[in-house]
Amino acid sequence: MTDDAKTVLVVDDDPDAREYLTTVLEDNGFTATTANDGAEAIASLEEEIPDLVSLDISMPEKSGVAVYRKLKEDERFKDVPVIIITGISEEFERFISSRRQVPPPEGYISKPVDAEQFVRKVRELTG
Amino acid sequence: MNNDYHVYFDALPCYLTVQDRDFRIIEANERFRWDFGDIEGRFCYQVYKGRSERCEICPVARAFHDGQRHRSEEQVKSLDGRQISVLVEATPIRDDDGKITAVMEMSTDITELKHLERQLRRSQRRYHLLFDEVPCYISIQDRELNIVEANRAFHEDFGACLGRKCYEVYKHRSEPCVPCPVQETLEDCAPHTREEVVTSLDGRHQNVLVTAAPICDGQGRITGVMEMSANITQVRQLEDRLTSLGLLIGSVSHGLKGLLNGLAGGMYLVDSGFKKEDKARVERGWGTVQRNVSRIQSMVSDILYYAKDRVPAWEPLSAVEVAEDVCRLMETRATEQGVRLSTVLDATAGAFEGDAQAVRSLLVNLIENSIDACRLDGKKPEHGVTVRLQGLSDFVQFEIEDNGIGMDQETKEKAFTMFFSSKGMEGTGLGLFIADRITRAHGGRIELESHPGVGTRFIVHLPRKRPPPEESEDSHPSEMDAAHDR
Repeated sequence: MTDDAKTVLVVDDDPDAREYLTTVLEDNGFTATTANDGAEAIASLEEEIPDLVSLDISMPEKSGVAVYRKLKEDERFKDVPVIIITGISEEFERFISSRRQVPPPEGYISKPVDAEQFVRKVRELTG
Repeated sequence: MNNDYHVYFDALPCYLTVQDRDFRIIEANERFRWDFGDIEGRFCYQVYKGRSERCEICPVARAFHDGQRHRSEEQVKSLDGRQISVLVEATPIRDDDGKITAVMEMSTDITELKHLERQLRRSQRRYHLLFDEVPCYISIQDRELNIVEANRAFHEDFGACLGRKCYEVYKHRSEPCVPCPVQETLEDCAPHTREEVVTSLDGRHQNVLVTAAPICDGQGRITGVMEMSANITQVRQLEDRLTSLGLLIGSVSHGLKGLLNGLAGGMYLVDSGFKKEDKARVERGWGTVQRNVSRIQSMVSDILYYAKDRVPAWEPLSAVEVAEDVCRLMETRATEQGVRLSTVLDATAGAFEGDAQAVRSLLVNLIENSIDACRLDGKKPEHGVTVRLQGLSDFVQFEIEDNGIGMDQETKEKAFTMFFSSKGMEGTGLGLFIADRITRAHGGRIELESHPGVGTRFIVHLPRKRPPPEESEDSHPSEMDAAHDR
C-alpha cells in the first residue's frame, strides 16, 4: 500500500460483506478499515477521517440510518463522501426525502454489490 | 219515517236496512237498493248472501234476542256478483211500549280495508322472514340503548338479549362504547356506519361492519335505531393473509439480498484467488460461498414450510440423537459468531414420535435465534447458548438458553408471530413462528422466558406419543397453494 492510498471505512454487520468489500478495495489500491456497527464506525471516524465511507443501511435496529445522520450532521465528518449499500433503496430514499436538513448520500449501490461498479463509484468520489 | 230522516237515511254512505222479526227487509236505503236490488218482501239473507235460510250467526237475530247492539264482520254479494266485506252493526228498534219490533242493520263497506289488512299481513310476514333469515345481525335499540328486538342470527350468537344494553350483550362492556354509530344516529337522525369487533357467546371475536339506521314515528321523532351488522371476519382474515404474504415477500427479498451479497463476496474471493494464484484466498472464498448457500437453503426451507403446512411424517425418534445432530450442525455457526454452544443432554431421555426433519428444523430455528440474540448483545464479554434435554414421563423437554440481548414484554408477546425478526439483514422473521407451528403439529408447546439485557430461555415440550388426528393443529388449506401455480 502506498502512503497516499485513499482510505475507505467499510461499515457492515455481516462479516462476509466486510471481507468482500475490503478485499475488492485492497485489490484496487485502496486501504480499507472496517466497523461492525454504528458505534464502531463513529469511533473509527474520530480516530482517523477516511476518504470515503461505505455504509450498509440495513443494519439491525436502524443503526445504519443513525450513523448516516451523525455523519452528515457533524462538522468534522459531513464532507466525507458516503456510499450507501442498501437492500431496499426506495425505503432509504423515502427517509432522505422526508428529512430536508439531511443531505442525500453521494452514492448508492444495491445488494448484491457488483465489484466493478463499486470500485468505479469509489474512484469517482475520492477523485 | 218523517221526511228529514228519510233524506239522511238515503244519503248515508253505507247500507241501511230494517228487518222485521221474520227477517224480512221492510226498509232499505238507496245505496242498498243500488247494490243489492229490490227488497220487496225479501229476506235479508236472500238478498245479502243469496242464502235460502238464515245465517247461523246473525247479529240481527242476536239484537232481537237480547235487545242489545251487535256487531260482526260479514261477506255479502252484490247484485253484479261482487264480494263485499262489510262491518255490520245491528240495532234494535222499539215501539212506544218498548217492545222490539224491528232491527236496523247498518253495514259499512270495508272491502278496501280488508284488502289493505291482507296486504299488511303479507308485508309483515315478509318483513319477519327477512328480519329473521337475513345473514347478518339485526337488533333494534330504544333511545336508552336497550335491545327491544333482535333477529335469529343475533339471538343465536349473542344469546338472550331483549331488555339488555347492547354494549353489554356484544361488547361485554359496562358502559356505552365511544364512539358509537347508534348514539350518532340517535343524535342526528341519519344513518351511520362503522367497523367494530364484537364478541359472541362462545367467546369468538367477530369483525363486523355496522350500519345504524334511525326509526322514526309519524312526527319524525326518533324512537329507536335499527342496527345491522354484516360479519366481515372472513374478509379481514383473508386481508391479513394477503398482507402477510406481501410482507413475507418484502422481508424475504430483503434477507435474500443480504445472502446473495455474501455469495457475491465469496465468489469474488474464489475468482480473484484463482487469478492471483492465492490458494488461501480461494479457500476463504469457498467457505463463504458454502456458508451463504447453506443460509439460503435454510431460508428457502423456512418459506416452503410456511407455504405448505406439512403433516408430520411420524416415526420413532431418539431425543438425544436428534439433539446431538442439531448441535453438531450448529457448532460452526455458533463459533463464527463468537458464541459458545454447550450441551447438557440426558442420554436416557428416551424416544418420542415425531417428524425428524421438522423437529431438527424446530431446534435449529431456536438455536439460531439465540445465537442472533447473543450477536446483538454488545454488553457481555462472553456469550453462550446451552442446549438441554430432559426426559419426563409423557414428554421430552428441550431447553435452549442464551445470555443474549433478551426480550421485553412487547417483544415476548410478538415472538411467535410472523415477522418477528431481530436478525436485521438476515432471516425471514419466520424462524420462531415455524418453530411454534412445528411444536403444535406435534401436540406440544413452547414456553418462553426472557429478561431484557439478561437472556432468553425456550422450553419445548414434545409428547412421547403423537396426538390423535383431531388435536394436532396441522394442515389448513394452505394460503400459498395458488402461488404454486406460478
